Amino acid sequence: MKPSIRIQTEDFDLGAEYQLLRQLDAASGAIVTFTGLVRDLEKDSSINSLTLQHYPGMTESLLQEIVDQAAARWDLIGLTVIHRVGKLLPSDQIVFVGVASQHRADAFEAAQSVMDYLKTKATFWKKVDQDGQQHWVESKDSDRAASQRWTTDD
Amino acid sequence: MIKLLFFGRLGDFAEGVAPNIEARADLTPAKIRDQLAADHPALCAELSQPQVLISLNQMIVGWEQPVFDGAELAFLPPVTGG
Repeated sequence: MKPSIRIQTEDFDLGAEYQLLRQLDAASGAIVTFTGLVRDLEKDSSINSLTLQHYPGMTESLLQEIVDQAAARWDLIGLTVIHRVGKLLPSDQIVFVGVASQHRADAFEAAQSVMDYLKTKATFWKKVDQDGQQHWVESKDSDRAASQRWTTDD
Repeated sequence: MIKLLFFGRLGDFAEGVAPNIEARADLTPAKIRDQLAADHPALCAELSQPQVLISLNQMIVGWEQPVFDGAELAFLPPVTGG
C-alpha cells in the first residue's frame, strides 16, 4: 500500500491526485476521492474566512496512525490524505482523501473511515472570521459519533 | 526547561504565559496546570475542562504522567479539522 500524507498551505489539484492514485497499480479497480470545502456559513452566519492551525509533527503522526489503521482493515493499493492549513476562503478546498483499491467497497469504507477519524483525532483547529469577529469553531458530537461507528462494528 | 504549547482556543487564554518553565522533581501536567492558576485563573479553568487532552513529546498522556527536563507539553482542546 502506498500512503501519501501532506499538510500544506497551497491548494491541491483533484485531477492530479486522482491520476497519481490511478498510476500506482493496474490491479486497482476502484478509486474513491473525497474533497472537503470551506462552507460560507458557520452557525447560520456567513463567514469571511477560516484559519486552520495545527500541531506540526503530531498531526503528521496522527494522520499516519489513521492511514495505518485503514490499511490494516481494508485491502488498499493507495491512500492519499491532504489537509490545508493557514487562511482559507469560502469554497476553498480544505481536505482531500483518495483511496485506490481492487474493489469499491474497500475504497468507499476506507475513505469514509479516514475522514471520520481525521475529524475527531487529527490536531487541527479552525478559527472563523465573521464580520471582523474571530472565534474558534466548536467540535461536534455528530463527528464523534461518526468516528465511533468504526469501533463498534468489530 | 519544559516547553509549553497551547492550541486552538486555549492559545487565546494563554496570552502572556511564559513559553518555557523550569523543570523540577515530581512535575506532572496536573501540577503545571495548578501552577498556572495563580497568574492565569481563566486559563487554568479552561485547562480543567474534561475535553482537554494533553500530549508530552507529541504523545497523548494522562495528567499524572511525570514530566522531565527538555519535554514539550501541549494542551489540546477538541479538534475541529476536516
